This record gives sequence, structure tokens and C-alpha cells, in this order.
Amino acid sequence: MIPPVAASSAGASLSIGALSPNATVGVRPQEEAATGDQGAAFGDAITRAIGTLERTQDTADAYARQAATGRLERVEDYMVAATEAQLVTQLTVAVRNKAVEAFQEIMRMQV
Amino acid sequence: MSGPFSALAIPASGMTTYRAWLDALSDNVANVNTVRSTDEPAFQERFVVAEAREDGQGIGRGVRVAEVRFGDPTGRLSYQPDHPLADENGMVRLPDMNLSDQMTSLIAAQRAYQLNVAVFERARDSYQRALEIGK
Repeated sequence: MIPPVAASSAGASLSIGALSPNATVGVRPQEEAATGDQGAAFGDAITRAIGTLERTQDTADAYARQAATGRLERVEDYMVAATEAQLVTQLTVAVRNKAVEAFQEIMRMQV
Repeated sequence: MSGPFSALAIPASGMTTYRAWLDALSDNVANVNTVRSTDEPAFQERFVVAEAREDGQGIGRGVRVAEVRFGDPTGRLSYQPDHPLADENGMVRLPDMNLSDQMTSLIAAQRAYQLNVAVFERARDSYQRALEIGK
């Protein structure tokens, strides 16, 4: 769940960092008021998540190449890697959508 | 495999292990008529030894092939005097394997593999349902 922006900090110092997603991308909800550092932390988390996505997709691609060239030794390896890549993609997209959704919600807020 | 979708790795390890067992059984069945001369060891039946993978936190991390062991090299002597490999007494060495045991194990290995595929599909569907939360 995306924690609400701390009421005390609403208005003047809104930042994306306050919109910490859950621990799956390595960001813990912060107790203190939002700062610029947290914006960077969220950016880092997204970068890490995309790094994971790239790694799983590279693995799946490598197996796909092996399958295409007849060098795949175990069918299940490819299917497992492809499924994981698919799920990691869905997770990354879900996190991104939630963040954008929350950001837009705040932008619509009347100050 | 670790990370947010670690439950996929457990049935995947089962698939890999049962695939190895299927391979070993196929090899046994393929060599059921492998004849050797009596001064050589017979074809040795392959036994796959499975081992639980522990992560030290209670819930394990599936299974893996610990080793492959080999059956009795003495085999079974058969009187086939016309065989080119027969010794002066007309004996050849055949593998000491029971084909019905191999077929029974083959069914068990096939079903276990299918079971792990079913578990994998359940885990995948669960994760997909989890990703649909709040959509």
C-alpha cells in the first residue's frame, strides 16, 4: 500500500519520495518528513527494479536463443525463466503505475 | 532464483531433479540389452540420489540431485554361445536390471514431474492474482 503523504509536510515540500512503494523494490516507508533525498531513493529503487527486470529478461532471452538454435538442454529452464521474466515485468509495471497514479492524485489536489 | 517470485524456484528444482531421474531411467531402459563380454563389468544401472535443499530458515528451497550411484557391475551371466562376445564357456554379461522396476519408476518420475509443473502453475497463478490487487 502506498502510505499517504505526511499531513505536516503536505503543500510546501511534496516529493515523490513520500510515495514509497512497499519493500519489494527495496524502499521502506519513511517516518520522517519528505526530503529531496527520498526522491533520489525512490529513483534508485526503480532503477534497481528495472535492473532486476533486465537480468531476468536477459536470462529468458538466452534460453530462447538456445531453444531457437537447438542447444536448449532442459525445456523447463526456459519456461521457468520466461515465466519469471513475465512476472517481474508485471510487477515493475504495477509499481510504476501505482507511483504515477499517486503522483497524479497529488497533482489534482487543490491547494 | 530469489527475489519476489521465489516460490517458482521450488517446483523448478523438482522439475530439474525429476528430469534427471527420467534421463537416468531412460538410460537404464535403453541399455537393458547391452551385452558385454565376461571380462568386462556389465552395464551398471543408474540411481539418482535426491537431496533436499535447505535454506536454514525452516522452509526448504526444493530438491536437487546429490549424486548418481551405480548398480552391480557383476550383472547377470547368460549362455549365448553364438554371440561374438561370448567367452570360451559361451557366457556373456548382461545388466542386472529388472525392466518392470524401471517402468514403475518411470511412471513415478513422470507423475512427479507433472506434479511439479502443476505446483509451478499454481504459484504463477497466485503471483498473477497478487499483481492484480488494486487494479
